[in-house]
Amino acid sequence: MRMPGLFAVLTLTLVAAAALAPAVVSAQEAAPASTDPRIKFKDGERYLRDLSETFEIPRDEICLELSRYDCSKKSFRIVLGGVDPYDARVMQPLDQATLASPIAFDRVALQVCANRVAKDRADPAKALLFKPASGRPDRAWRDALTDRLYDRILRRDASVAERDRMAAFLEGVEGRTGRSARGQSEQTLLACFALASSAEAAFY
Amino acid sequence: MTSGRVRWFSGLRAWAAVTTAVGLSALAAGLASPGGEAVAKPPASMEFCKIYPTAHACAASPVVNCTTCHTVPPAKNLFGAQVAERLAPGVARPLSDADYIAALPAALKAVEALDADGDGISNLDEILKGSAPENGDSRPTAVSCTPGQTRSAAAGRWNTCGYDPVHAWRKVVLDVCGRSPTRTETDAFRRRLPSESSWREGISGQLDTCLRSPYWLGVNGVLWNLANAKINPQDSIKAGPRAGSIPLADYEWDYNLFAWMNTGDRDVRGLLTSQDFVKRVSDDPPTFAAVPEGDFKGMRQAGQTVPREKRAGMITTRWFSTVNTMFTPIPRTTAAVAYRQYLGLDLARMEGLHPAVAEPVDYDAKGVAAPACAVCHSTLDPLTYPFTRYDGIIRNNYNPNRLKNFVRTDGARVVEAPEAGEIFGQKVANLLEWSQVAANSDAFAQKVTWDYWKMMVGREPSPADQTEFALMWKGLKAPDKFNYRVERMLHALVLTEAYGRP
Repeated sequence: MRMPGLFAVLTLTLVAAAALAPAVVSAQEAAPASTDPRIKFKDGERYLRDLSETFEIPRDEICLELSRYDCSKKSFRIVLGGVDPYDARVMQPLDQATLASPIAFDRVALQVCANRVAKDRADPAKALLFKPASGRPDRAWRDALTDRLYDRILRRDASVAERDRMAAFLEGVEGRTGRSARGQSEQTLLACFALASSAEAAFY
Repeated sequence: MTSGRVRWFSGLRAWAAVTTAVGLSALAAGLASPGGEAVAKPPASMEFCKIYPTAHACAASPVVNCTTCHTVPPAKNLFGAQVAERLAPGVARPLSDADYIAALPAALKAVEALDADGDGISNLDEILKGSAPENGDSRPTAVSCTPGQTRSAAAGRWNTCGYDPVHAWRKVVLDVCGRSPTRTETDAFRRRLPSESSWREGISGQLDTCLRSPYWLGVNGVLWNLANAKINPQDSIKAGPRAGSIPLADYEWDYNLFAWMNTGDRDVRGLLTSQDFVKRVSDDPPTFAAVPEGDFKGMRQAGQTVPREKRAGMITTRWFSTVNTMFTPIPRTTAAVAYRQYLGLDLARMEGLHPAVAEPVDYDAKGVAAPACAVCHSTLDPLTYPFTRYDGIIRNNYNPNRLKNFVRTDGARVVEAPEAGEIFGQKVANLLEWSQVAANSDAFAQKVTWDYWKMMVGREPSPADQTEFALMWKGLKAPDKFNYRVERMLHALVLTEAYGRP
């Protein structure tokens, strides 16, 4: 799959994740931390089924390595919590995530977001995430983008603090990507990646 | 089947036997210490749970690990050393199993108030609450909230101090339907929150819907994967649809039977007792249909060849015998797999030992009567005899004279091996009786519940989960509760705090 600007985007992904991770957690502040947390990994298949539905991309097309190998059924099957009883003899999901699991998860999140943004650029009339600003990108544009992302990926509204944090992040990224339509699409991709790779998106 | 292939498989079995013998000999060196001081007692692993039935370790299994008292048997850990000091003092060593079991309750009682690891928590508290009495870094987990935390949690996005209906409902959608709920669905469920009966109904209805989904019931679905370790599929020897290069048996019958017995208003004990099979008519929606006996005629390797009246659910299928019994006259692996996968007892870890009197006899001249080997084989061999009349590879049939085929390779005495055996100390005449005892045991109910608990809750039952876990498996057995219906048990499981507390 050809993804325009991917290399430039990759250099910014860590920045995005670091900047926005606290924002995702902040919504829990009203309650004390669980004394005996039981969160579960969503696993690659459930994760892609969710994103397929919410990004309106067929499940079989949403994430393919080398444009051929399904990310959860083939490429990263075991490291993303799947099983392979027939060939690899892995009968049950691994109890512990592997070292490669977070790398694979980030890679999947980035590919899915890039896939959706590329579709939005190709067909603006059917765009879901990336909608260029009519003029210079402003706070209203950033808030609208934030709302679309939280709605689509986390399936809830963003809190005021989360909108502020995302707006600050997008403003900062703009210094690197510029204000052009391409720059805005890269901002959208990075913001999508930040939420799609968040703990809230990966665990339940 | 060529004779060369037979020799190849036989060679593998011989190699496995040698490996097993070497391993057991090494263990024997530790167990049978000539000094008479450091001796491990396998029966202790089960006696412990009889003495402390409410101990955390006994909630999930009727046995505890050897490491409760030992570092590496026979060496004792701090707790084991305290017990040993108080075990029948003054009586000559080594103690017989009977003397040992008689003295154990008093010895354990004598150390209950002590603190072997010096962490400030008594041995008894650690045993009951699930931490390790011999490890100072292991302490019971605190799971209760302060009143202030409880109030703030109730007002928060997640109720981290109690059962959170929205969280539980969302988990049901993800666990059983394989997707996150939409915002519309979530909003609709939230409207139920003011009424407990309404949100309970919402969770229950959602579960019912998802339990019929392809994600749960379909090929490679949740139930299918829950059975992987029990069935041990291998595509190279698969027969039937998508047959492998050496088609010997078709595991799809096993997966279908597993799904069938775990769904609807069906008795899950059928996993060990069913004499019927079902076929998958459709995968979306998942639909099964009974298979008339006549349908197996002419199917050869792809069908079932054990006569209906000799079947015992999943442990006499053509696939199970093929991959476990293979060409073995006394198929100890087959019995051990059944014991581990359906009763949760791993003999390789010295779990579930019930030594039978005058066993093992060693009918097949494998040397299992040696004292070191007899520690486990006094349980394993009588557990295995009921499987000896069921062929493995090729015939896959019930044959009362089967052992005559092995005289040349396993010695003249092999034909003397009885069909009658013993399980949990209870004598059984054949595999049908064996499977009845197994299916009605606590161990079976615990194993069924444990499998679902680990999958749904996401981890093994913790010390804090002990009460709820016990309610589930005891409820599974109780006629007035779940009556061996898995789906009824699941409806209760998703209402536990273990499942619904974030």
